[in-house]
Amino acid sequence: MLELIGSLVILVGAAFNFSAGLGMLRMPDAYTRMQAGTKASTLGNALVLMGIACLHPEWTLKLLLVIYFVLMTNPISSHALARAAYRSQVPMTPQATVDALRDAREQSRGEA
Amino acid sequence: MIRRAGIALAITLFGLMFAGLVLHHVERRTLPPLGKRYVELVPQELGAANVVTGILLTYRGFDTLGEVAVLFMVAAGVGLVLDKRGRRNEGQRRGTRSPPRQASEIVRTGAQILLPLLAIFAAYIIMHGHLSAGGGFQGGAVLASGLVLSLFADPQQRLDQRFLSRTESAAGVLFVLVGVAGLLFAGGFLDSRVLPLGQFGAFFSAGSIPVLSVLLGIKVGCELSVIIDRFRT
Repeated sequence: MLELIGSLVILVGAAFNFSAGLGMLRMPDAYTRMQAGTKASTLGNALVLMGIACLHPEWTLKLLLVIYFVLMTNPISSHALARAAYRSQVPMTPQATVDALRDAREQSRGEA
Repeated sequence: MIRRAGIALAITLFGLMFAGLVLHHVERRTLPPLGKRYVELVPQELGAANVVTGILLTYRGFDTLGEVAVLFMVAAGVGLVLDKRGRRNEGQRRGTRSPPRQASEIVRTGAQILLPLLAIFAAYIIMHGHLSAGGGFQGGAVLASGLVLSLFADPQQRLDQRFLSRTESAAGVLFVLVGVAGLLFAGGFLDSRVLPLGQFGAFFSAGSIPVLSVLLGIKVGCELSVIIDRFRT
């Protein structure tokens, strides 16, 4: 039973990782690609590792550590990448309508 | 059109290649004679639970020394090439470059949390090389990746190149000295049986393999750090 649950969780995780890969290929600009790659792959990896924990309960502690590490590193690294891209003015897709960061900056400049 | 055809051709070729790999793959049920001999010899003669490290640091210890020497030459070469170029362009760059930015708060905080973890992990990999997967090379690489993180968090910080290169040289000299000790007191150069083998699987066991592993880890970590530092402008 536990084996079945574990396999299913791994499958769901793999589906999320697949959607991350698809997003990397299909999204129109750097920022949306980053978003697809980060969110989906973080959840996908965590799910795969949880599934492995179901299959091998004796590894649970180590796998939790790995999940913690993924949760710590993945968002930080994509944050740094996205920030670098924004700062070096990588263009957004023409379909993008909102730039909340720019709006907030202009607002704070207007107030000052 | 031609590009698409090229891509399709490339994909087909890759498909054929991998199909060949998959279809002709036969799982080995037994080890080849040499592998079998190593698997039997390493725990028996060297007392190392990790056969790979036993081979790398004792039977092929001389090769490992050569690999580290190659890495050292890479570091020296990178230093030679990048140092010159940096000096030539410095005058032009200084005028146009905008003042360096600070890393964002998220990255700095994340680095504070992750760096100790990375350091512990690297030390674990290096010191348990004779017991589980890992060893000096891998642990040294993890160490250097921690350095990359800390450079991201604080791009302004200066590395003490002299300290790094001295530590690296000291580790290299000690490595060779342990090797020579093997030549004098045991079976040959880098023979790990100069120290007592201890109990199989214990932390202090497998002769001088853990010592060599630690020296290798320090050396590789320092070398990679120097290389990374050179790539900064």
